[in-house]
Amino acid sequence: MSLLQIDQLRVTFQTRHGAVTALDGVSLSLNAGETLAVVGESGCGKSITALSVMGLISSPPGRIAGGAVRLAGEDLTHASEARLRAVRGAEVAMIFQEPMTSLNPVLTVGDQIAEAILLHQDMTRSEAWTQAVALLDRVGIPSAAARAKDYPHQLSGGMRQRVMIAMAVSCRPKVLIADEPTTALDVTVQAQIFDLLNEMQRDFGVAIMLITHDMGAVSEMADRVAVMYAGRVIESGAADDVLDAARHPYTRGLIGCIPSVDHGGALAEIPGVVPPLHLLGAGCAFAERCAHVREGCRLARPELQGGAHSVACFGAQEGWV
Amino acid sequence: MSLMQVRDLRVEFPLPRPRPFAPRPVLQAVRGVSFDVAEGRALGIVGESGSGKTTTAMAAIRLQEAASGQVLFEGTDLLGLDAAQMRARRRDIQLIFQDPYSSLNPRARVGDIVREPLDLLGVGSVSERGARVRDLFAKVGLREDQMALFPHQFSGGQRQRISIARALAPGPKLLVCDEPVSALDVAIQAQILNLLARLKAELGLAYLFISHDLGVVRHVCDEVAVMYLGQIVERAPVGDLFARAQHPYTQALLAAAPSLGRRRSRGFKRPLSLRGDPASPSAPPPGCAFAARCPKAAAVCRDVPPALDGAGHQVACHFPG
Repeated sequence: MSLLQIDQLRVTFQTRHGAVTALDGVSLSLNAGETLAVVGESGCGKSITALSVMGLISSPPGRIAGGAVRLAGEDLTHASEARLRAVRGAEVAMIFQEPMTSLNPVLTVGDQIAEAILLHQDMTRSEAWTQAVALLDRVGIPSAAARAKDYPHQLSGGMRQRVMIAMAVSCRPKVLIADEPTTALDVTVQAQIFDLLNEMQRDFGVAIMLITHDMGAVSEMADRVAVMYAGRVIESGAADDVLDAARHPYTRGLIGCIPSVDHGGALAEIPGVVPPLHLLGAGCAFAERCAHVREGCRLARPELQGGAHSVACFGAQEGWV
Repeated sequence: MSLMQVRDLRVEFPLPRPRPFAPRPVLQAVRGVSFDVAEGRALGIVGESGSGKTTTAMAAIRLQEAASGQVLFEGTDLLGLDAAQMRARRRDIQLIFQDPYSSLNPRARVGDIVREPLDLLGVGSVSERGARVRDLFAKVGLREDQMALFPHQFSGGQRQRISIARALAPGPKLLVCDEPVSALDVAIQAQILNLLARLKAELGLAYLFISHDLGVVRHVCDEVAVMYLGQIVERAPVGDLFARAQHPYTQALLAAAPSLGRRRSRGFKRPLSLRGDPASPSAPPPGCAFAARCPKAAAVCRDVPPALDGAGHQVACHFPG
């Protein structure tokens, strides 16, 4: 059984266009100790998926309208707020895109890590502080004892993200959700953070759900991949299978359109943009942008099928894409 | 032929006095940068945040005051022009910005936004300007009936197309592109990069293209300059730079850029992650600015600043290769 199992999750939001379905039957699984990458463009539902796992969908306007999020068998969508507080941080931790806005600007970073430890573990203040310093040292912050007394604004972006990671692993969670953790960082710092995440996974055995739009990051980090589009998973499988033999035209487009350092020349394009959720019709959400589209694609929505390397595309399923 | 020749450009920012009556410290943002942009060619400037790439470009086109240096544009030193003369030159040099959300007037119709530079410069008759705007819309892949809409009615990629149309309106010879795709989704990035490549070929435009992303630069530029702490550390034709990077910093940047060829499944291990952060531009080290982070650094590197040497492929390093 998977450590984290998301089953047919449906999340709706009340908007001025009426209720829109942000997640429409999303199923994902994350096994202990592995890295699952969730890929897609802005607005495809990657972050909403992560927030639903943490029980952080604000309601209203959001609502979990169906499905389940099971952590080691326990359905978190029906858990009490007290139970969720115990889960967050201790069992499932999260790091965000912009470390500056996710740290408290008026507390030292050492205090913030100690606070997380004190919430979940039976310890004295000074023990928690000692452990916070040890964690800062562990994530590669030089002279950790002195830096622990710094405020977030005194640290660089990369250092702040290291603090976030130290805080996230402080209670030895089973699952770490990293939502675009390096988007705000320079490329050399991004490489350091990726290396650090891998190290944390090796040392603490944490399973990582990496949310990203960068197929290069997927290649370096992921064991398995789920590609999302307009609130659904449209392809999923082992990283090698998806990267080397993508079946969905959208996945192929995403791989082809990355400006790579390995070659020059013109890039593949995916024409158009992701359709607004309130304008989705009955057919495949990608039909308007798809080069292979046929009449049937606009009439019914393809379901995710195909075992270990599954795809939601009539063409791929019937062999004409 | 050389369109723009920049020689020994320096930009300094005064910092607050550390105590009353103390001398004002100076931050040296650009420390003696020289490069050429040839007619119809694209020069990419890459570097991490704080390397001085944007300041260099802004000083070269006089949107930022330079401390010293020379910027010859078609033989005229731009730094010596008075305001009226510079204004007349502006039609040859146009700019597109990173953020298409904040760089378009939210209260103006996009047709008027593209038309404004023509009105300001008094290009042609009223009807000729109207025809030119329609022509520009077609060139950047927008429809004529979209001219009456406002910026908020467009997606990020379409807004960047509007910015490009506005920049092209006066018929410039040089387009300064400051991170033109870093605010866009991956699939949209490819559309804009291909558009920029096509316009360059069609209109014989030269680009000064600023980016932190080596992959993006590889797809658009003919030549690349790598900046570190206010100086160019390596400059080469694009193919040469990617095939045979000589400076350890360039090599580290390339090693850090995520790539589809590196697979977790095949036990990918990054050869070299840069340690630490760049030195402070308010107190640059006496020798090579990169020495403190460089795996090859020797005593000479800490004492003697290396000069940018070589023909065609230039590198500023005591131990290149």
